[in-house]
Amino acid sequence: MESPQASPASTPFSAQPRELSRLAALLRYEILDTPEESIFDDFTELAAQICDTPIALISLVDDRRQWFKSRVGLGVSETSREISFCTYTIAGDEIFEVPDTLQDPRFCNNPLVLGDPHIRFYAGTPLTSPDGYNLGTLCVIDRQPRRLSAQQRETLERLGRQVIRLFEQHLLAHRHAEQAALQQAILDSASSAVLVTRPDGVVTSVNPTAERLLGYSEQTLVGHPLTAALFRQEALQRRALLLSSELQIPVEADFSVLTAPLHRGRRDMSEWRLRHQNGNEVPVLLGVSAIHDEQEHLRGYLVNAYDLAYQEQLQLRLQQIAAQVPGMLFQFHWRADGASCFPYVSEGVEQTYGLSPGQLASSFAPIVCRVHGPDRSALLISIRKAANELTPWHSEHRVEHPRKGLIWVEARATPLQQVDGSVLWHGFVTDITARKAEQLELDKQQEMNRRLLEALSEAVVACDAEGNLTLFNEKAKQWHGADAESGSPEQWATRYQLFRADGMTPLQPEEIPLRRALHGEHVINHEMVLLSQGAPRYVLSNADPLFSSDGHPLGAVVVMHDITERKRIERLQREFISTVSHELRTPLTSITGALALICSNVMGEVPESMLELLDIAQQNSQRLGALIDDLLDMEKLHAGKMRFDMLEQPLPPLLELALRSNGSYAERHGVQLHLGACPAVSVTVDAMRVQQVLSNLLSNAAKFSPAGEQVELSAQFSDGRVRVSVRDQGPGISDEFHARVFQKFAQADSSDSRQQGGTGLGLAISKELIEHMGGQIGFESEPGRGACFWFELPAQGQAKERP
Amino acid sequence: MAELRRILHVEDDPSIQAVTKLALEAIGGYQVLSCSSGAQALEEVEAFAPDFILLDVMMPGMDGPQTLLKLRERIDLEQIPVTFMTAKVQPSEIEHLRKLGARDVIVKPFDPMLLAEQIRSIWLAGRY
Repeated sequence: MESPQASPASTPFSAQPRELSRLAALLRYEILDTPEESIFDDFTELAAQICDTPIALISLVDDRRQWFKSRVGLGVSETSREISFCTYTIAGDEIFEVPDTLQDPRFCNNPLVLGDPHIRFYAGTPLTSPDGYNLGTLCVIDRQPRRLSAQQRETLERLGRQVIRLFEQHLLAHRHAEQAALQQAILDSASSAVLVTRPDGVVTSVNPTAERLLGYSEQTLVGHPLTAALFRQEALQRRALLLSSELQIPVEADFSVLTAPLHRGRRDMSEWRLRHQNGNEVPVLLGVSAIHDEQEHLRGYLVNAYDLAYQEQLQLRLQQIAAQVPGMLFQFHWRADGASCFPYVSEGVEQTYGLSPGQLASSFAPIVCRVHGPDRSALLISIRKAANELTPWHSEHRVEHPRKGLIWVEARATPLQQVDGSVLWHGFVTDITARKAEQLELDKQQEMNRRLLEALSEAVVACDAEGNLTLFNEKAKQWHGADAESGSPEQWATRYQLFRADGMTPLQPEEIPLRRALHGEHVINHEMVLLSQGAPRYVLSNADPLFSSDGHPLGAVVVMHDITERKRIERLQREFISTVSHELRTPLTSITGALALICSNVMGEVPESMLELLDIAQQNSQRLGALIDDLLDMEKLHAGKMRFDMLEQPLPPLLELALRSNGSYAERHGVQLHLGACPAVSVTVDAMRVQQVLSNLLSNAAKFSPAGEQVELSAQFSDGRVRVSVRDQGPGISDEFHARVFQKFAQADSSDSRQQGGTGLGLAISKELIEHMGGQIGFESEPGRGACFWFELPAQGQAKERP
Repeated sequence: MAELRRILHVEDDPSIQAVTKLALEAIGGYQVLSCSSGAQALEEVEAFAPDFILLDVMMPGMDGPQTLLKLRERIDLEQIPVTFMTAKVQPSEIEHLRKLGARDVIVKPFDPMLLAEQIRSIWLAGRY
């Protein structure tokens, strides 16, 4: 095909801006490739008839082809734009006519001329849109050369204009249909119920939500007056009255109740209860808008109904929840201008302030009036402060409750800043009178306890279950020269300078009474020394673990009693006894010596009558001597002045010696001493002290044994310790005396000492001696079955048995 | 070999003095000179010429050890043994007294019946 370069419209369809706008205008009509429509065919028929041609077309030209919306006398529905005649037509403003194609160089080689449909004549009028774009043509075609008459040309142009008008209508109808469908979809899917009425209030349309909400189908409502169908007359009347006074115009109790505010420029939302088809009432929030047409004529009303049932349910649920809350829940609105109100207050307000929610609807003042006078200003200040800082608000104040009297309440709320500068609070208020009373009582008790602790002459220190010191009373602070400080129990001894009773050895952590109590022990009368304040302070500690009422460990407490003064007096007493004993010894030596000389008859024969008295005097002077020896021993032990010459030595010789040296004393009581089993072990002891102990035990056993009985001395070795036992057949030791056996001057029967001639210090001294040598002393006895006194010492086993 | 006949006894307490004198004279058959103080003993010792000296430790004025030091300047302790009498029985003290030159220590209270024999043993022990 020949290039159309020579032609004046060589690139009629090139992508010039004008052409692009033309294509856009064409597409806007949305007509390309739509089905045939008889209304368009009428125009082509008419054009063919008037112009007396076999072919007439409504041709629309897009970027690559011409498409025929309507055609008469032609089989194809479109042809390529390159060979189209219409391209030439739309390039101009008027009819384009080709009288004989074969005579026209632009068309003589056109395939549509040379081939089917053999065009010899063409005349087309441009279809020009209102905005000036040629969208296509109305054209007529003949297979013979010819010319249109002037009348034919004019008619063709007129028809062309009609076609464009038809396009316009087509487009408009299309737009309307779309709009209607959209509106319907919006209505159908609206979550609120929508009813459309005529200006007189007769229903014209109802959306599905309205059908569901009210139980009526659209058909049953359409054609009926809205208010008569769904509204209660009394409600309409009440509303009419209210509006009449508000708007200062008479308002009828009919549909105008809904529309009257609109006419005064107000778009009110109002709450109503509509009649459901089943007779129930449906709570709704109604909004009414007027529908106007383009000419601003009132065409009807759109009535929107929002279902309040759900909100009512929520409201009810809130009420129910609020009723369960011990106190009042509230929402409080504090406006920027200082005005305030309670958008919501639960029924609990009666319990806390003796007010009803209604009384607080518009003002905060009733609450302020109920607040106890002295607490008012603090309350208001705290509210303002929280509002300014937007920090959580907390207040405890007293309320003069009309029914309950003066009560304590606690209020908490969180302020939220609103866009308009006001502050919205959500919070609650509870009656805490009981708790407050408990708190006050507790405070009083704690104060009492505190004063009690301070009044004590004892020092009290407590710690919690984790071993943190929690309490030092005044005395404890004074004695320790410090207060409770953090630090583990392991550090207590050094931090607070705790020493053993000797005042020199620091307490080991496991010896500290409070720590022992923390580990569950009951510590009784543990003697120790506090050194913090220079001079040693001797204290007796009693410590106990503390438990909560349900048995959980809470910590421990120690009470320290100052015995420094007692210790001083005891020391003075001991020194006094020691001095006196020393002083007694010299005269006693003369008495004993003199009596011994007399009784020995060295000074001459003593008369028979005096012998008994002299014997009594001699025995008692000896007993006095023994007592003085024991007292001095005791003092030396207490003062730590007694020396122990510890030597490792075999045990058997010690026992044998004791047996020999006490044999004669036992014989005087008619008692036999007997050595039982004795393992060949060695002990590290001061031999003289061991003899002192053994003498004491053996002489006691001999004294208390009936004449003719045996006392057995024996030893057993096990686990690195040897136990030396002295077993007698005496009366044994009564149960009530068990605890005092090793105490000073303890004797089972106070008459015993006179009868038996003991000093009452022997066992006490023996205990001290054995303990000084690293051993233990004890006894086993049942009254009437004899007694077995024993002491245990660390010992080394020897390979060789005793020969 | 000299015989033990004369004993000088230094003791401030008159009762002990008397009992000791009795015990030694009546039972031991010795001749005893009792002195009430260290000073007196120093005055008398050369005139009396004792074979044995019995010395109390605790005395007012010059005590036993001080007296011993003075005696040592006048007599030969090898020839005339000095023995203390004391109530203090700590072994360390006994050791201390021995170092001062004492032959032995007799512990109070003593048994008057055995005292003469005790002294005789001490005196004899020093002879060999």
